[in-house]
Amino acid sequence: MADGSIGTPAIGASVRRREDYRFLTGQGTYTDDINRPGQVYAYILRSPHANARIGGIDTSAAASSPGVVAVFTGKDLEADGIGGLPCGWLINSKDGSPMAEPPHPVLVTDRVRHVGDHIAVVIAETLGQARDAAERIDIDYAVEPAVVDSVAALRPGAPLVWEQAPGNVCYDWHLGDSAAVETAIGKAARVVKLDLVNNRLVPNAMEPRAAIGEFNRATGEYTLYTTSQNPHVIRLLMGAFVLHIPEARLRVVAPDVGGGFGSKIYHYAEEAIVTWAAAKVRRPIKWTADRSESFMSDAHGRDHVTHVELALDADAKFLALKVSTLANMGAYLSTFSTCIPTYLYGTLLAGTYTTPAIYVETKAVFTNTVPVDAYRGAGRPEATFLLERIVDLAADELGIDPAELRRRNFIARDAFPYQTPVALQYDSGDYQTTLDMAMEAAGYAGFEARRREAAGRGKLRGIGIATYIEACGIAPSAVVGSLGARAGLFESAAVRVHPTGSVSILTGSHSHGQGHETTFAQLVSDHLGIPIDSIEIVHGDTAKIPYGMGTYGSRSLAVGGSAIIKAMDKVIAKGRKIAAHLLEAAEADIEFKDGEFTVAGTDRSKSLGEVALTAYVPHNFPHDELEPGLDETAFYDPKNFTFPSGAHIAEIEIDPDTGHLTVLNFTASDDFGRIVNPMIVAGQVHGGLAQGIGQALLEGCVYDTETGQLLTGSYNDYAMPRAADFPNFVLSTHVTLCTHNPLGVKGCGEAGAIGAPAAIANAIVDALKHLGVRHVEMPATPERLWRTIQEHQTRAAAD
Amino acid sequence: MEMKGERRIPAPRQLVWERLNDPETLKGCIPGCESIEKISDTEFTAKVVARVGPVKASFSGKVTLSDLDPPSGYTISGEGTGGVAGFAKGSATVALEEDGAETVLRYGAQGQVGGKLAQIGSRLIDATARKMADEFFTRFVGAMSPESATGS
Amino acid sequence: MQKTVSLTVNGKPATATVEGRTLLVQLLRENLGLTGTHVGCDTSQCGACVVHVDGEAIKACTLLAVQAEGRNVLTIEGVADGDTLHPMQEAFRNNHALQCGFCTPGMVMSALDLVKNNPKPTEKEVREYLEGNLCRCTGYHNIVLAIIEGATVMRGETPPVAPHGPAHGVAAE
Repeated sequence: MADGSIGTPAIGASVRRREDYRFLTGQGTYTDDINRPGQVYAYILRSPHANARIGGIDTSAAASSPGVVAVFTGKDLEADGIGGLPCGWLINSKDGSPMAEPPHPVLVTDRVRHVGDHIAVVIAETLGQARDAAERIDIDYAVEPAVVDSVAALRPGAPLVWEQAPGNVCYDWHLGDSAAVETAIGKAARVVKLDLVNNRLVPNAMEPRAAIGEFNRATGEYTLYTTSQNPHVIRLLMGAFVLHIPEARLRVVAPDVGGGFGSKIYHYAEEAIVTWAAAKVRRPIKWTADRSESFMSDAHGRDHVTHVELALDADAKFLALKVSTLANMGAYLSTFSTCIPTYLYGTLLAGTYTTPAIYVETKAVFTNTVPVDAYRGAGRPEATFLLERIVDLAADELGIDPAELRRRNFIARDAFPYQTPVALQYDSGDYQTTLDMAMEAAGYAGFEARRREAAGRGKLRGIGIATYIEACGIAPSAVVGSLGARAGLFESAAVRVHPTGSVSILTGSHSHGQGHETTFAQLVSDHLGIPIDSIEIVHGDTAKIPYGMGTYGSRSLAVGGSAIIKAMDKVIAKGRKIAAHLLEAAEADIEFKDGEFTVAGTDRSKSLGEVALTAYVPHNFPHDELEPGLDETAFYDPKNFTFPSGAHIAEIEIDPDTGHLTVLNFTASDDFGRIVNPMIVAGQVHGGLAQGIGQALLEGCVYDTETGQLLTGSYNDYAMPRAADFPNFVLSTHVTLCTHNPLGVKGCGEAGAIGAPAAIANAIVDALKHLGVRHVEMPATPERLWRTIQEHQTRAAAD
Repeated sequence: MEMKGERRIPAPRQLVWERLNDPETLKGCIPGCESIEKISDTEFTAKVVARVGPVKASFSGKVTLSDLDPPSGYTISGEGTGGVAGFAKGSATVALEEDGAETVLRYGAQGQVGGKLAQIGSRLIDATARKMADEFFTRFVGAMSPESATGS
Repeated sequence: MQKTVSLTVNGKPATATVEGRTLLVQLLRENLGLTGTHVGCDTSQCGACVVHVDGEAIKACTLLAVQAEGRNVLTIEGVADGDTLHPMQEAFRNNHALQCGFCTPGMVMSALDLVKNNPKPTEKEVREYLEGNLCRCTGYHNIVLAIIEGATVMRGETPPVAPHGPAHGVAAE
């Protein structure tokens, strides 16, 4: 990793994780591991119907059941003036009108809109008692027809999810130059067209969501322990918009969190329920989802139906891209749902290519399903999937090698900064190099021999390339604000140097598996020249951290890390003044290196620890110039997105008799900018690849189209990837530095999930194209593959 | 989910018809039926314990007889809620045809489940419903066998 | 109906009063405060709750607490030797075989069971053995490497250098 290093052991070293000891010995503290004195348990009664009017709710039998402390319904919340869950991003339609923004009640009162919609909460001494009592709540449902898929929801006469959204349309958004695209298509030598689906996924972090609400009457303070990727965002949303609790009286703690992948960004009803009800019953209340509840209440991901057209000239240069997408929003607008199929999707459609004209339109559609929001990659996997599929299809139609077609259309490495036709300006990248590296590692040149060898065994072998670009380091506040975001997306950090020289870093980023306690400590060790062991990383508690926007969009290092650097620079600047005073030298002559403030050109120096001690025991201190203490806070607002990129290559083999597919080889060559801990980065890529390959081959959320019932509601039916589904992954990295953050880092958390689905899909089509197969939808299960093969063989035989 | 079946019952059609309208007979034939109470000639309330894969639930609900065409047949419909397990509903159209001293019973049934039952047990619903329908008519035929028919 | 269960957990006697429907995993977590054993699903598929009962790996959600009467249970809390990690735990750390840590206790308990029955597992055998343990973070890649390394150390052999290079001398917290 020499090329990712800046010359110190801390940065670029695979430091083993400091957090591992507690997890490996069972001493992690996840929300459900916490028990508060006097705690009672909440059970949420959920709708078994996808669409039903509620005639009445009779809770009397439940309320008098053994152990029951209270039963609350939406009417009780209404009576307290409790608001609905807010949506964090306003999208305007083509005509300038704002999106339809129906209410999102904490507990419904008059209608349920998806299976799993929350109706009532039972609070009891034990969870068993709460669940038993919930059985005794009598609800008068008038069941009505439901609609679960976005195409059906737009048909005339489809069941209407919201009166406020005629035709079930939330918004009809677009981006790009439609006229230029139509002109280019008119003049093109060839236009390649494809319809495809990006399958709906259930995030399935292994730790189910949980929340504990607590109210202290003596101080008037509320505390919420919750499985969140961003506790401050929850405090803001729940405090200001839902429960009307001043932030100063609301503490949100996100302790160890067992994975998120986006699904734990959002403010969920259960958080508001336990917090509000804790004040009602004056007892701490714990709620923990069982996996069945997670399936029907965690925000889902993806679910796009798309038509794409790519126009090429006679030299196979891309002239224009036209994309039309239906995005399923579910029944309610989850916190960041609206920006995913728009600004995190349409803006990525240039990909790694020089396509001069792009037009994208997205119609967001309400259905009787669980809300859809960001899931690892969030919009960018969808963009990459359609782009890399249409590029491969074009290569096939033109008889050009897919790698060659990409080479002809890549943005050149010397073309940066590069302005795309869809708003983004890429700062750096080198797409050809990562593709070359991946092709070399994957043995791309020798593939045809392997295909023939497999054919000799009766197997269909295919190889598939996908390149990707993502916009990470989310996000410049002014830019996203102009696009409708109702939040800023900076990050904060405080660097607290203690009197004897150890350091606490308070970061607004949140770690739920990413290893911040290690990576951030490496940054600090490098920058302040102190051992990792004397650095403490504090996160996940609004009572400790100044502020924070949390972790998503591969932003922790690029934005959170930059805030830490900025705060450390403030510490160094103040330390330099103190050292100048102690050393009786001019401030300008003080250099800081390896933890020592030195008078330039001399051996006179003071360590950071000595300076810190002086700052806290300021007997000999420049009081006229400085305040005591060595504790600095910084907020970093990124100047641009970061643009990680790379190339993924999948090699697969299909048994035509059974449709069984084996992933033989998966190669990923990525450019994440500077790499702080290669071991952790590799782990992030592995996990992303597994989710991406899972989407391509295994995972798909299925609703019954007539009744709206969730049919993949457990691990019986939702195919989670297992160890035997994967080969060992082959990874490499190439570094082009991000030009606008102090570390030169780009982010690595989502890359695997973005590139992998298209690489797998392209490999499958490559294996089957001799049968006339142009596209295979995801998940490409053995059944789907077998049917595809059978249909095409039958057709071929008939011809 | 839809099912069809046919049974030959060694009893005259009139008797078969009467038994199909008799709560006690129905109670004995509906698998897992704990109680059944007659509200009117065509309406009953029932409590049924059913198991679908890993989910076991006690359903309370209503059984309704409609399209009555004595003694040729009717439609029997049931709808029950199983608390947090969700709900189940189904109906069967039953046709009785005389064949000498015996009766041929034909049925076409359909069912639907929702909530946790659908979520956890969706793959098992068809098999479970088929088994329950099968068991119902097997028991019914058993209840109509000569010794049983004369003995009650 | 309340019942009293007496069993041995991590070498120490334990007694708890539970309902008939209480599962072993609930007894461990709620009654004994051993929260290292996790619950990740409700259909006995995720493997986050794997413990050893009388030396055999078992999903603690598949056993009623009362069925554990008189039996010997080992949980993740009982695997390390004081502050010294078990070689399998050390191998997980050395190979970055955990991220969020939620599936980790079950993974380690399953890994120990595998190595007990198959001291020298191949990569394929490890992957197949892990059928009952789900991980959403790691893509399993490093878990497989860790189990092979852990097995090597448990056989008394010297493992090859981890793919991420030698561990840097950072003490555990």
